[in-house]
Amino acid sequence: MIQLQNIRKSYGSHEVLKGIDLTVNKGDVVVILGPSGSGKTTLLRCVNFLERPSDGQVTISGFTVDCKQPGKQNVLKLRRKTAMVFQHYNLFKHKTALENVMEGLVVAQKLPKEEAKQKSLDVLEKVGLSDKIHHYPSQLSGGQQQRVGIARALALSPEVILFDEPTSALDPELVGEVLAVIKKIAREGVTMIVVTHEMGFAREVANHIVFMDGGVIVEEGPPDEIFSNPKEERTKQFVRRITPEWSYVI
Amino acid sequence: MTIDIPFIITCFFEIVTALPLTLVITVIPLIIGFGIGVVTALMRIYKVRFLHRIADFYVSFLRGTPVVLHVLIIYFALPLLIAKLSDQFGWGIDTASIPILVFVLTAFSLTAGAYMSEIIRSGILSVNQGQVEAAYAVGMSTRQALWRIVLPQAIGGILPNLCNLFIGFLHTSTFAFTVSQMELLGKANVVASVNLKFLEAFIAAALIYWGMTIIAERITAFLEKRVTAYNRGGIA
Repeated sequence: MIQLQNIRKSYGSHEVLKGIDLTVNKGDVVVILGPSGSGKTTLLRCVNFLERPSDGQVTISGFTVDCKQPGKQNVLKLRRKTAMVFQHYNLFKHKTALENVMEGLVVAQKLPKEEAKQKSLDVLEKVGLSDKIHHYPSQLSGGQQQRVGIARALALSPEVILFDEPTSALDPELVGEVLAVIKKIAREGVTMIVVTHEMGFAREVANHIVFMDGGVIVEEGPPDEIFSNPKEERTKQFVRRITPEWSYVI
Repeated sequence: MTIDIPFIITCFFEIVTALPLTLVITVIPLIIGFGIGVVTALMRIYKVRFLHRIADFYVSFLRGTPVVLHVLIIYFALPLLIAKLSDQFGWGIDTASIPILVFVLTAFSLTAGAYMSEIIRSGILSVNQGQVEAAYAVGMSTRQALWRIVLPQAIGGILPNLCNLFIGFLHTSTFAFTVSQMELLGKANVVASVNLKFLEAFIAAALIYWGMTIIAERITAFLEKRVTAYNRGGIA
């Protein structure tokens, strides 16, 4: 279980997150929606301390880190319970697909090389890249790179995988293959927090939607409720804008 | 005056006997300097309390003064310092017994460290921040991220600069002659004076330096190809 309590983040006098509380249960797929600048990516990066929150508490399966004085070792321990998939993939560019996936297992989790390799091959097969394991990131398409990114996160067997707009840097044609992989692992019961602009995907895969605006959670609930029957005016506005009421086909 | 071309070849073989010494006072300072460079660059990037100011001063001062001065200052100052310390702690070191080469290597290493620091710093800063974030996200500590992800990528980017520095130091090594080390140029001077054929001797020396430079460039090109193989793209 992941629990965020009163997470706040300020850059100077500008407060980006104004006290966020969020609970994610095991096996949940939580999608965070919201307009640009609403703080959704910042919130996601606060979970694994890529951004250090100014205040609040992050708890992952019973291990709590106080954001006011986190301490290096605690942050490391917390990070080792999470994994992240980045908007720009951020694969280690001097390592092959296989090495990218193995890196965390060998270096951070101290798994024996053989075991790490086997595990990596398994997840690479799961994302459909068994034939690309010796390719460098520069030799892969965006969609393939992102699938390696997902494999790298999945191999760590984390408590939660954080997805930071995993398809927004991709060619429209390549979005499908990545979403299919995410959907597949979501069905296997991996806990996820996803920031995305893919509404169809959010509706289909999420079992909990969080709508953020201006650094606060405006509304949260099951997808059907948020998309079909939003309660807050701001959510209604947002949903209206992204689900067109008329067709453009002439 | 005519040029005695066959004598250039004779000179060449005589002067080339000094090449090992020239290589020693080029390569060893660069290796030690690399170590100094990595440490000081990290101090400066991470703004390590108090130490980063010393590192800043070190780089600024040594880059801001001529190399020949470093050689002379170390040559005169280091024996004094060692004698003083030796007296204080009763080590019983006779400074006259320390080979001059040690002072030369010390001076060049310190100089190389300052230049390396800037090169390595630029290399580290050129690595995309996303690479570090990814390393953290898979659970690496800062140190692991640095050694396994950042530095290997930084080295690929700074290889041409390192080659430049090697060439620079190959030529800088001639300053060792000022404290009577018989490296290439020193040897050329001797050969020239003995035979009274200056132009021939210096041409021969120039050819040796040039040849070494070309070899260095070739090696760098080869290494660059290997180290940055991951960057070439295209479906292989």
